[in-house]
Amino acid sequence: MSFDICGSSLFFALPDDIFTVITSSLSPRDVCSLGLSCQGLNSVLSSDEVWLSQCNKLGLLASSTLIEWRKGVLSYKALCRFLFNTHPLIGIWVQQNPELGNLVYVMPGPLGLQDGRILWAPVFEIFCKYNGSTAFFLHGREEGADYVYPGLLKSVDTDCNVLFLQVEPRHQPDEIDKDVSQIWTEMPFIRLESDDREKLLDFVSSQVRDIVPQAANALLFPLSRNGEVDSEQDFAVLHERRLLLLLMYNRVDTDLDLRSSEVCRSLDGDHRNRSKGKTLFRFLKTGLKQLLRESRSTTGDQEHLKLNEFLRPGDIVGLSLRAKTVDVHCYKVWPYMHESLSALYKFPIQAPKATHEYAGLWGGTFGWPPSSDKPGKALFLIFISYENQEMIATKILEGTSYVAHPNGSAMFIVNIDKPSVGIFPWDTEEESNTTIEVKESFKGEGISDGYGFRYPGSKPGSLFVLENGLLVFLWEESREVLTLQRLDLGELLRRGERVNPLSPVSNFVYLTRKYTNVYSGNPDSRNPLFFPRYDSL
Amino acid sequence: MAAETGTPTTLTLKSNDDELFSVAESAAILSVTIRNMVEDGCAGGVIPLDNVDGKTLASVITYMNGISAIPADEEKKKSYRDKFLSDKDFETLADMVLAANYLNMSCLMDAVSAKIAQVMEKKSVGWVRRKFGIENDYTPEEEAAVKEEHKWTFEGVETDDDN
Repeated sequence: MSFDICGSSLFFALPDDIFTVITSSLSPRDVCSLGLSCQGLNSVLSSDEVWLSQCNKLGLLASSTLIEWRKGVLSYKALCRFLFNTHPLIGIWVQQNPELGNLVYVMPGPLGLQDGRILWAPVFEIFCKYNGSTAFFLHGREEGADYVYPGLLKSVDTDCNVLFLQVEPRHQPDEIDKDVSQIWTEMPFIRLESDDREKLLDFVSSQVRDIVPQAANALLFPLSRNGEVDSEQDFAVLHERRLLLLLMYNRVDTDLDLRSSEVCRSLDGDHRNRSKGKTLFRFLKTGLKQLLRESRSTTGDQEHLKLNEFLRPGDIVGLSLRAKTVDVHCYKVWPYMHESLSALYKFPIQAPKATHEYAGLWGGTFGWPPSSDKPGKALFLIFISYENQEMIATKILEGTSYVAHPNGSAMFIVNIDKPSVGIFPWDTEEESNTTIEVKESFKGEGISDGYGFRYPGSKPGSLFVLENGLLVFLWEESREVLTLQRLDLGELLRRGERVNPLSPVSNFVYLTRKYTNVYSGNPDSRNPLFFPRYDSL
Repeated sequence: MAAETGTPTTLTLKSNDDELFSVAESAAILSVTIRNMVEDGCAGGVIPLDNVDGKTLASVITYMNGISAIPADEEKKKSYRDKFLSDKDFETLADMVLAANYLNMSCLMDAVSAKIAQVMEKKSVGWVRRKFGIENDYTPEEEAAVKEEHKWTFEGVETDDDN
């Protein structure tokens, strides 16, 4: 046995494969603590078997995919490091513009892609480098060409809920910083005036950008195919793509010295004559109280930072991404978001459980019978959550190019203690003539026109839970029907259609209010989602 | 095979320190190793188990009898396993995991592994060294390097140093 040197304890008589079984129920940290005790154990516990089981335990990727990803990295330990560091990013992220029909879905690659109804554009990607560290790329399109904008993934809090895109002095972190440290001192970028932030982001992204080579732009993830050979080919192409992009990443890393003095010079010309923005102050007051607290304790005031204070001479600056845990106030489940900050907000997904069995993500269409495949029928992404006796269906995305109510509106709220006395108006399915059984029903209210766009009203209605798993909300008076079906967003994107991204910063977060969907490529398009992939291959 | 006679068959198992144990075949074949021997017809006399000592084998047989008396109810089996392992010290667990591995008893193997892992959960390096009598053979530089390499696993979880 390889660790006899450690001592005579019975513990060390355990063969390596038993260690693998034992460590499979330990956390990466516990495994490392064991390895730190002596060299022999460390070498046993560095094995691919041990770390493959750790990767599996994270449950992000299928085993077959892990095997593919392993080909591009040093070890399963390196891969585990990457997955462990970045997995808090996975989920649905939203932005404040309620009128705007899009959201960001961070998912572990790879995905499939077929012709379909969902439109998507890449927003950002995080690659796993050979040693398990990260490489961050923002995506964007300018002057008719697709670009990537390399930057650093600076920190990921385990319980992160706000994702900041910013400009920062460019030190490659040895390790993604996990300390929930003081956001105020750590992120001076958000203390700049909003105009300065915007200008900095625009300028720095214009300096770091690199055009995406054709070979790296055709396929962003494997197609949803049946054949093993096909998917192997896809993986081979993606492997090449990853190597190409990582090469570009390293080139920027070594060759591009974007000195702060240079940035200062470029931006200084117009930064003197601007009126004082109040946005940051408002931001502090309304949304992120924690910032305010910390600002008091650390700086004693809430003054804006000037560009020349922010950009200290000698710094090399670049784009960065930070996922932080911040106190965010919510109305129902919809977070209050800051208007001018390039940040995304994580949507808190509740998992279904015994008393909350309908919690989670649903796809909805208007009309009966439900047929989401029919052209012209918009798909709504609806998120069901529970609050006391209320079951709330929040719209997080509407697949129309002109949105009727803000995202974050409750499509309906029902009381789970009040069964509906209404009768489900259809008793058979049109096509198959099978009887429709209603499992249970609840009384509640559904969205209706109210005082303008922003303040929708509500009218009584009933929610029927059908035996076949569908949820149907029926407005009592208008007899309008909204039918909900469980949705797998990953699967939906697999059948989605790629559209062009916007310019990079707008692509991350579109800060201009607009009633029409900026991502819809054509007037007929439905459901533009923009989603970043989160990838390693 | 003996099962055809209709009466319960008993097997005799011998530990590596020459203790003899009688156990019902129906219970003993929880071990894939023993089952293979029975199926190959090598279980006529005494079955020698060279890698298991008497003390451990007695424990394993208690487990075999206990678990095979429970009908197909995973909940009840699980609670029996939990109870069975609850009073075992670490050295016994280490012996049992080796025995379970040798005897190819996956249910016992998984349960004991999980139990061992439970003991090691959220422990500091110092605790691990003390508990298992491990001598630190790193130079300070090496130890710092290994720590640095594993920095990513540390989420700010406090280790319970004193357990």
